Amino acid sequence: VCVCMSVGFIGAGQLAHALVKGFAASGVIATHKITASSPQTNLPAATALRRMGVNLTTSNKEAVSRSDVLFLGVKPHIIPFVLDEIGPDIEERHLIVSCAAGVTISSIEKKLLQYHPAPKVIRCMSNTPVMVLEGATVYAVGTHTELEDTKLLEQLMTSVGYCTEVEEDLIDAVTGLSGSGPAYAFTAIDALADGGVKMGLPRRLAVRLGAQALLGAARMLLDSEQHPGQLKDNVASPGGATIHALHVMESGGFRSLLINAVEASCIRTRELQHLADQEKISPSAIKKTTLKKVLQQPGVTGAGVGVRTGISLFSSPSSKQKGN
Amino acid sequence: IEFLLCPSKFLNMSVGFIGAGQLAHALVKGFTAAGVIAAHRITTSSPDTDLPTVTGLRKMGVNFTTSNKETTHKSDVLFLAVKPHIIPFVLDEIGPDIEDRHLIVSCAAGVTISSIEKKLLQYRATPKVIRCMTNTPVVVREGATVYATGTHAEVEDGQLLEQLMASVGFCTEVEEDLIDAVTGLSGSGPAYAFTALDALADGGVKMGLPRRLAVRLGAQALLGAAKMLLDSEQHPGQLKDNVCSPGGATIHALHFLESGGFRSLLINAVEASCIRTRELQFLADQEKISPAAIKKTTLDKVMQQPGVSDTSVGTKSRVNLFNNISGVKKP
Repeated sequence: VCVCMSVGFIGAGQLAHALVKGFAASGVIATHKITASSPQTNLPAATALRRMGVNLTTSNKEAVSRSDVLFLGVKPHIIPFVLDEIGPDIEERHLIVSCAAGVTISSIEKKLLQYHPAPKVIRCMSNTPVMVLEGATVYAVGTHTELEDTKLLEQLMTSVGYCTEVEEDLIDAVTGLSGSGPAYAFTAIDALADGGVKMGLPRRLAVRLGAQALLGAARMLLDSEQHPGQLKDNVASPGGATIHALHVMESGGFRSLLINAVEASCIRTRELQHLADQEKISPSAIKKTTLKKVLQQPGVTGAGVGVRTGISLFSSPSSKQKGN
Repeated sequence: IEFLLCPSKFLNMSVGFIGAGQLAHALVKGFTAAGVIAAHRITTSSPDTDLPTVTGLRKMGVNFTTSNKETTHKSDVLFLAVKPHIIPFVLDEIGPDIEDRHLIVSCAAGVTISSIEKKLLQYRATPKVIRCMTNTPVVVREGATVYATGTHAEVEDGQLLEQLMASVGFCTEVEEDLIDAVTGLSGSGPAYAFTALDALADGGVKMGLPRRLAVRLGAQALLGAAKMLLDSEQHPGQLKDNVCSPGGATIHALHFLESGGFRSLLINAVEASCIRTRELQFLADQEKISPAAIKKTTLDKVMQQPGVSDTSVGTKSRVNLFNNISGVKKP
């Protein structure tokens, strides 16, 4: 079923690229109905988007005016600047979907309420496998979001993988698990392939078999009502090769490492959120090049950059402009 | 009789499974879901009719029998889906019934083509043997299978097996000496994944997620990542880099994995499984195996089958598996 409206992306990086690639592959929306904006149009992701038929622009305002659903696909610390820039252009029809890790609905609504009485905001946490239509997405709805808005977002995100609504307070944990999860998997497959190569397999075959084994097992679990432990038992025959392997994994605390990883990612997400909420962020945390280009956009006011004091992100825009 | 490689989906031949356990069940479920062969053209045999897998196979419309000979008669492609130490008994039982058309496919870990051919050459001049290593995700048609062809297997035999196994996942031919390593990697691999998924879900639950959602998200994340890698020309390290934004949550998590030697544990696992496979193969090749290694119940039932002659079981002495059958019968 085709989504009969326009979608915009503020930011033309990894996230926009992955989502657009997935949307296009699933056919849920035509690429000519998608607009993406970025100050830098020569990045590889932006080039790829253009090649897919997406309308690319350097103007965030243009992306807003051409969209009904507007994804914010920029780094968390850029969000407030973007909101200030596009705030005046938000209309009744707009559904703002933030994909920024650690950025709360209330912080976004607080910003937008300066410009609009009932801004429709959804907070979303997805992951890169959306590009192969096997993403994992959760979302939480804001104060003024209506049922049709959530249905629309679910329709979009279900076309590229699993999607479900959650309470906002779970999103950090989801970030730690399925947001960062693909990185754990890539690391695991690299190591499994090393194991295969050590025991004599050519690299290409080892990578292929390792990835296929993980994929097949995950698919089995998703399609089954059984506990992962039961499925593990079914593979481990008495005195066999597999149970020998499992023993060395357990001896090394394999499970604990993965629990640590999920926890670390979740904690770091909360840390970044806390820094943002405190409305202070050190200049070193803001990549200067990106900020400079943001500051160059018409309509964006900026605080001083490059000074040692903290920068307020969520206060009203100051009248100080960095000299050009 | 030459095998006809059918241009349409259905294969014009019959498939048999000696053994009706996990492997037979998984393969049959996959084959029938893929539509590569009709259930009524599949026969499976087992002395034990109480196994849950037997019920499952029957429900799929497969012909079930307690007679391995019957399965052999009704098949063109014959999968040996029994535990490695049972293989020699089975070969002795069905050896006289093998005909020119039969393609014997052994899925037993660690059992060499030469050991199977050696057995069958007592009965047949040119037995066609293929050795196969697959894994349980064939049940959802996402298996990983490799195979090596024996001395008398022809090109069409390999192609036929590949057509069957490709319908349930990835399948490729390899040299036989790689099969133990494949066992360690993709044979045992699903167990590593199930363990990881259990732990990831624990992590999610620790940080506040309900269990069901945590299991779902963990499995989806692994599945999506694996699919990305399979669909990409890029190195897994590059794909990992792409997910790690500077100072972000993911790189913090990865540091914990690396600090604990995560990668090393997985290399160890593949190695341990491969080494154990070679150990079991070596024990079998030595033509000695301790009675403790043979599950008595299964062996008892094998002994009860008509046409199977046996050596004594339950004494402290070792049992010869690959020599000629002795005349001693257990009372």
